[in-house]
This record gives sequence, structure tokens and C-alpha cells, in this order.
Amino acid sequence: MSLLRNISSGMRSLFRKEQVDRELDEELGGFLEMAAEEKMKQGINRAEAVRAVRLERGNLAVTKEVVYAARWEAFLETCWQDVRFGVRMLRKNPGFTAVVVLTLALGIGANTAIFSLLNAVMLQRIPVRNPQELVVLRWSAHSRPKSIGHSSFGDCKSTEWAVSAASSCSLSYPILREIRKQSREFSGIAAFAGPAQLDLSGNGMASVVSGELVSGDFFQTLGVPAASGRTIDSADEKPGAEAVAVLSYAYWRTAFGGSPSAVGKTVTLNGAPFTIVGVADSGFTRLSPGKSQDLWVPLSQTAALRLPWGGGTTASEKTNSFWLTVVGRLAPGVSLVQAQTATSLVFRDQVVQDALLKPGDDPQVTLLPAQTGLVGMRSWVAEPLFLVMAAVAILLLISCANVAGLMLSRAAARRKEIAVRLSLGASRGRITRQLLTESLLLAFAGAAVGILIAFWGANALASFVTANRYSALYLNATPDLTVLLFSAGIAVLTGILFGLAPALAGTSANIAPALKESSIGTSKLDVRGGRKFALGSGLVVAQVALSVLVLAGAGLVIRSLANLKKVNPGFDTTNVLQFGVDPERSGHYNEERTRALYRELQNRLSYLPGVVAVSYSSDTLLNGGLWTSDVQIEGRADKSLVEVEMLTIGPDYFKAMRIPVVAGRVLSPVDMASAPDVAVVNRVFVRRFLENREPLGLHFGGSDPKDAKYEIVGVVEDTKYDDLRRDPEPIAFLPQKKGQAYFAVRTSANPLAVVPLARTELRNLDSNLPIFDVRTQTERIDRMLFGERLIARLAGLFGVVALILACIGLYGLLSYEVARQTKEIGVRTALGAQKGDLLRLIARQGLTLVATGIALGIVGFLGVTRFLKSLLYGVQPTDTQTLLGVGMLLLIVGGLACLIPARRAMRVDPMVALRYE
Amino acid sequence: MSEQASDLVQGTLDMLILKTLALEPMHGYGVAVRIEQMSDGIFRVNAGSLFVAFERLQRAGTIKGEWKTTENSRRAKYYSLTERGRKRLESETREWMKQVAAIARILEAS
Repeated sequence: MSLLRNISSGMRSLFRKEQVDRELDEELGGFLEMAAEEKMKQGINRAEAVRAVRLERGNLAVTKEVVYAARWEAFLETCWQDVRFGVRMLRKNPGFTAVVVLTLALGIGANTAIFSLLNAVMLQRIPVRNPQELVVLRWSAHSRPKSIGHSSFGDCKSTEWAVSAASSCSLSYPILREIRKQSREFSGIAAFAGPAQLDLSGNGMASVVSGELVSGDFFQTLGVPAASGRTIDSADEKPGAEAVAVLSYAYWRTAFGGSPSAVGKTVTLNGAPFTIVGVADSGFTRLSPGKSQDLWVPLSQTAALRLPWGGGTTASEKTNSFWLTVVGRLAPGVSLVQAQTATSLVFRDQVVQDALLKPGDDPQVTLLPAQTGLVGMRSWVAEPLFLVMAAVAILLLISCANVAGLMLSRAAARRKEIAVRLSLGASRGRITRQLLTESLLLAFAGAAVGILIAFWGANALASFVTANRYSALYLNATPDLTVLLFSAGIAVLTGILFGLAPALAGTSANIAPALKESSIGTSKLDVRGGRKFALGSGLVVAQVALSVLVLAGAGLVIRSLANLKKVNPGFDTTNVLQFGVDPERSGHYNEERTRALYRELQNRLSYLPGVVAVSYSSDTLLNGGLWTSDVQIEGRADKSLVEVEMLTIGPDYFKAMRIPVVAGRVLSPVDMASAPDVAVVNRVFVRRFLENREPLGLHFGGSDPKDAKYEIVGVVEDTKYDDLRRDPEPIAFLPQKKGQAYFAVRTSANPLAVVPLARTELRNLDSNLPIFDVRTQTERIDRMLFGERLIARLAGLFGVVALILACIGLYGLLSYEVARQTKEIGVRTALGAQKGDLLRLIARQGLTLVATGIALGIVGFLGVTRFLKSLLYGVQPTDTQTLLGVGMLLLIVGGLACLIPARRAMRVDPMVALRYE
Repeated sequence: MSEQASDLVQGTLDMLILKTLALEPMHGYGVAVRIEQMSDGIFRVNAGSLFVAFERLQRAGTIKGEWKTTENSRRAKYYSLTERGRKRLESETREWMKQVAAIARILEAS
């Protein structure tokens, strides 16, 4: 109660200040009058009496202050005073304020932007009901299950697949069924697999969509309602149920314009009719970070969609087909450990019964919290993001050091003012508080501008990340509450960091000398000024050293990127457009019709204007995909299986890709259809497996007698397949007889100009066939180098900002020094110092600092450079050239920053300088 | 100027004010004079300490203030004890007596 009364009377004196003030005045006045009257009774005159009371009882004005200060609201009031005073001080120096706010905005903005991305990828909660109750199942065993088919879709931490230890998040349908049947520990279980790239027709132009196969209780378990219509339910998963699909909210908006009539409509997915029964809630944008879907269909539709997972028509029943990711919601009151024990038992019984593993293999299930267990894009984006976060943290330190330097010289300029206030009775604590308030004001102004920068920057970054992905990706990088709290936190931290030292330095001044000195310091012999210079110098050295870190890191990554781009992949990457088609998905094509379509399309495309050559292959080189197979090779002493990279190709492939033929012949149109099977291999194949013996006429193939045997009919030059960094591996090029194809169109000029023409040609052949993944080879390579490009761009940008900040810091310090030493410079000039001497004097001061910073920075960089190692190519983490280059750059720019103050020093007129005070 | 007021044991001013007001409602100057009189001039109360104490006691809900007219027809704020204040005075007096007796025993022991 008394706390309440305290607060309410505090509020009263805050908001009805005048009345409370008047009352206290009247009360104290009455007190004085009564005391004085008492005195006057003893015969003293009024003035004397009032004086006597003051002496005895204390000055009433002071009394009032004492009463004020004893109230808690006084603290708030002085804070508010400080803020108003601070704003006035900052408005009086708009130039200073602008520089400081901008510097901080850069530092805080860059940090906020990168943190928004980190937040989106690492921290944001899964947008479903009570996500903390969700767990993802991961199994492990001491050995690899016997002859299982395994698919995973990047939801979980990568699969461990050694002979002696295996673990993965993919499970078979029978295991899912048993866990559902036996486990009482979950209130719901959701299984899913995908995305599958599905051909969708029946809604405008045919297109390819990302669809996920989900169990019937997927939406109920996650607690995701329908925005329109209904979601998939358990009845939809039953065999023989009508084929249904649920659209994601975003896809509904883009592809159906958000029209309510979409629900109930029938579309064709991979040739099979599906009825759209609903649209999922708008909030449900993802389960695993970055993985977004266009639509969901029941698990039991695998066969209808002709998906290979689980091996064809009986997919969902196969015991040795591991393809489902399973997420469970823990029932109320059930601990993770309890559920884990129960699930492990079910899993062990089932895999033992299915003869996949023995009890001795110790098969078991671990339950991972879904928030951390479902990694999604985290697996590939976390490392570059953390490196960039480190770079922006350094940038923030630089801006702090910079602002601290500026504050320091301003504190020096304000020494007289502060001395006056100290001598008038302000306590040092009070003045420190005032100065800190000003720093915090600046920090928050910087943060406000910084958040604007971040808002723009984070979205630009998010679209850069999404543009470089293979499938649709959802990334919500808009700053949310977590991000705003983060920014406010670093604003407070920076405010204290750059404000405290100058504030303490400012108030530690001795009053007497400070009052006596002129507005600008007297001479270099002034010990205090010297110490302040030392602090300022330290800040400049720190800035230069930190800039070295960022610039050297940026330099190494940029050089690696240049090296990677210079790598010769063995074929001509310029002016090639590629796009994918997959006619067999629709169900209307058999192998023969597919071959005929490819032949016709190849023919028609080759007549288009500007087209030099056309071919196709099962995948494109340098696109992230890789197909390998274990084969036995005839004529080898060692009969064991060897791993060969494989690619099926159409006629003219080597001509279209410009891969030189070394020996034998290339694959002809006849080879596409007829037996015997023939193949073209590369030089590494011959060198590594055949010890350079004559390869033509030799055969290779799988170990099973039923597998096809390929006769080597030609040899081509080596090419890289999936990775620019790795040396070329043995590749076998086989004739493409079926399946999806990537057409490669080599043009004489801009290959993107061919896109509309190619679309028309395909539509003329079959209007229901969508094309997908339309990109030039150069774009594909850029996409592979995503991490390097992200870091090179950002680090380069931040390096330049760091350089500019360090220069401003150096310039500020030297300008202040020149101003401070005006008198000394005047004396020197009067005594005959030449302009060259003065220039040397200033430049020496500046360049010593820069050189010290560079040396420290290089030492520091050598300590942390190993973190960059995985991103580098063709350059050592300790590359001397880069470090020398960065050092030279800083020296040159530092020299330029010295020049302006030095010129000012040279122009000092000795007469003016000596009369300065 | 002798600053006897500073000789007041920390925290006792509140108790003395409460005691003074327990006799009758009084304005600030009256309280100061009364404390001086009752202590035979040993304690002289500084205006600053006095009004800070009034503020503190009001906020703690032990006294309340009311504007009235004095016998010299001057407006003054009269403070009076609340029920809470009366209880607090009792408990503080008891505590104080106990402590004084204890200190006295220690000082007399030799």
C-alpha cells in the first residue's frame, strides 16, 4: 500500500508539478515567516530576523532542492533534464552529431541486418502451435541397415552413412505405422517427404511446383488450420481415397490470385488429377527453416505421382525404403526421455522383424527438439552467416572507436565548460551521468537510423540468398521484436563503450588549470593533453588494426572467388542456356516417345536464330548434382568395384559443351536407342583405371550380371562435374535413353534471348509440358559459389566502410592535434621551421599510428585466419601478397588522411598563432 | 552556529516528529520549535531535514497534511498522525527503549 501511495504521490508531483511546487513554496515561506516573527518579538528588525533564521535553519532555496532530491521522481526528472540538455548540445553541433549518428548507424545497421538473417535462420520459432512440444525422430545403429533405399530432403542434420555407424532422420512407412499404433507418448505424429518437383497443369500455363507428401495427421499434429476449405486429414491417407491437395497460402495468392474458387478445382499433378480441398493458414510458411512448399498431398499418392521414393507402386508399404521424416508432438506430461525409450523399442522391434538390422547393432531412436533438429537451410547458410556476423561485429567496434575518438576531442573542447560546472558545485558523478546521457542519445539516434538501413539491407540480403537456391525458399528477414531488442541492446552497449572513457576523462580535469587555459589547449608539454592524445592514438591504432582484419579477410575471399572463376572446368561455360524437361512425369510418354520428343526438340532448337549447337543430358554439369555408380572395368588387374561419375547425354553433347574429343568417336543418334550399349569416358578414367592402355573396345558395368555392359567407343578431355574446387574425376558419358533431360543451347550471343523462342518450340510440340530450372551455365556456377560470393560482397563492402571510418578517425585526431599545437607550430615557424619540416612532423605522428595499427592487425589476422580456410581456393590463409596489399592500401589512405591537417599546419601564420590566446 | 541536529541518531528524527504530532496536529515550524523545547534546546532541527522527513512520512502513510489557518490567521499546512503512524510510533518507541536500556547496561558495566 505504501509503495502505491509513494508511486501515486510521485506521479502527482511529476504531472502536477506546478501545484506541488507552489504548495512547498508556501509551506517553506510560512516556516520562514513564523520563525522570523518569533525573532522579531525579541526586538530585531525584519531583515535581521530573516537573516538569522537563514543562518540557523538553512537557506530555504537549498531546503527546497534537498526536499526535491529526496523524492524518487527527482531521478526521472534529472534524466529528462539531461536528455533535453543533451539534445540542445547535439543540436548546437549538427556536423558532429551527423557524423557520429551516421557512423553508429552504419555499425548498428550492418549488425542488425545480419542479425535479422541469423534470426530468420537460427532463432525464429517454427510457425505452428506450441512448437516447443515438437520433436523430430532420428535413428542410429552400429551398422548400416541391409539393402535399404534411402532418401532425405535436407530437413535434418546430414545423414551419417558409414559401414560401422549409421544415423538418419528418414524412416520407412511400416516403422511410422508401428510408432503410430504403439506409442502413447505422442499426442500426434506427422510424417512428410519432399519437396517433389511436380508438373502442374489445369491452371493456366503448365508449371513446376514444389509439393510435399504428408501423412494424414500432418496438419492436425502441427496445429495448422485451413485458411479456406479444409486441410488433409487421416481419411485422405487411406488407400483408394480420392486424390486431394492443399495449397500453401503464398502459392494460392500467386497462382490462383487468392480466389475462393480455387478450392474444389481439379488440377493435374504429374499427369494425375488432384482436387484442391483447401488452403493452409497464412502463418504456416515453413517447417524446416527456409523450406517452403507450394502444396501438400497425402503420402499415399506417391505411386499416382510416379515418384521413385520407396520404389514404385507399393512404395508406402516397403519395409526397406527409408524416406519419411517424422515429427511427433509430445503428449502432456510426457518427458522427452520417456518418449525416446518407448519409440526406441518400437523402432528396434520393427527393424529386427524386417531383417534390416540385428539387435546387436543397437538400433535406437533419439528425439531431437524440432526447433534445433529441423535444420533446413541452416546447414548451408550458418557458416557464411557467422563469418559475416563476425565481420560486422568488428565494424561495430571500429565505429565505436571512431565515435569515442570524436567524443574525446569534443570532451577536450568542453573542458572549460565542465570545469565551470564543477566549480559551481556540480558533482563529478552528476556530470558523468550527463555526458553518458548524451552518448546514449547519440547511440539511440544511430540505432534508429541503423534499423532503417537494416530493414533495407536485410531484405536485399534475403533476396540474394533466395535467388541462389535450387528450390523455392522462404526467409522472413523483416526485423521482429528479437531483432529490435538486439539493436537496442547494442545501442546501449556502444553508448557506454564509446561514452564512458571520454566522460571519465572529461570530469577528471583539474578545475583550476582548466579554467585558466584558453578554449584550446596550450602546449604539448601539458601532461593531461598528452594522455588524452595517447587515448585517442590508441583508438586510431585499434581502428586501423580492426580494419586490417576485415580488409584482409575480404581480400582473401575475393581472391579465392577470382581464382574459382578462373578455373577451367574443361568446357566452355559462356553463352550456354540450359533448361529441364521431364515428359515421363505426365504419364503420357514412354521411353520411345520421350526419345522422339528430344530428337525433334533438339532439331527445332538448332534452327533458331543465334543458336550454334544444341544437345541434352540427364543433368547439367556444375549445377550441384552428381550421379555416381560403382562399376567393374574389363582389362583391369584389380577386379574390385570402382566409383565412376556418370552422365547420360544426347547426340552432339561434346560439340554443344565444347569438350574436345581425344580419341575414338562420339555418341550418335543411333546409340540413343540401340544395343549394344556404348560409352565415352574421359582421360582421368583412362589414366586412373587403365594405366593409359588403349581403352577403345573395353567394357565396364555393374557387378550384377543383369547390369548393362558398356563398350568404350571414345575418349574426351577431362571436365569438372559437381565441384569447381575438386580435380576432375573419372566420368563415363552414356547414351540417354529415357528420363528427364536438361537441354543445353549454345548461342553466339546472349543466351537468355533464346528463352521465349525455346518455350514456343516446346509448346508447339506439347503444350502440357512445363520447362524448369531455366538458367545459363554461368548463372549455375555463380549459384554454386553462393557462400563465397556472399562473403566476398559483404566483406568487401564492410572493408571499404571500415577503411573510411578508420580514415575519419585518423583525420579527426590529427586535426585536433594540429589545432591544439597551433601555438607550438607558430613558434617553430617563427624560429625558421620549413613547411617540409611541419609536413614531416604531422605525417610522422599519423603514419606511426597507422603502421602500428597495421602491424597489430596483421598479427591478429594471422591468429584468426584459419576460420576462413574452408572458403579459400588457390590462396593461402596467410597470403603475403594480400596482407602486403592491405598494408599498402591503409598506409596510402592513412597518408591522405594526414594531408589535410598537415596542410592546415603549414598554413599557420606565426603572428596569428602567437596572438592566439 | 551549532549543528546539534546532526547529532540526532540516524532515523530518530522520524520518531521525534511522530511523537510531537501524537500530542496534537501541528505545522512545520511548530514541530521544529516543539522538538527544541522538549529537548531543552539540545536538538535544533534544520528545515531541510524536517521537510524531507515530512515528505518521507507522508509517503509512508504515517502522517497526513492539511491546509488550515493558524491562530495568527496565516495559512499553514498542519500535519497529523494517522492510525498507521500511531502504531509505528508505538513499536518504534518500544524498540528504542529496549536499545537504550541495552546500551546503558553495556556502558555501565565495568
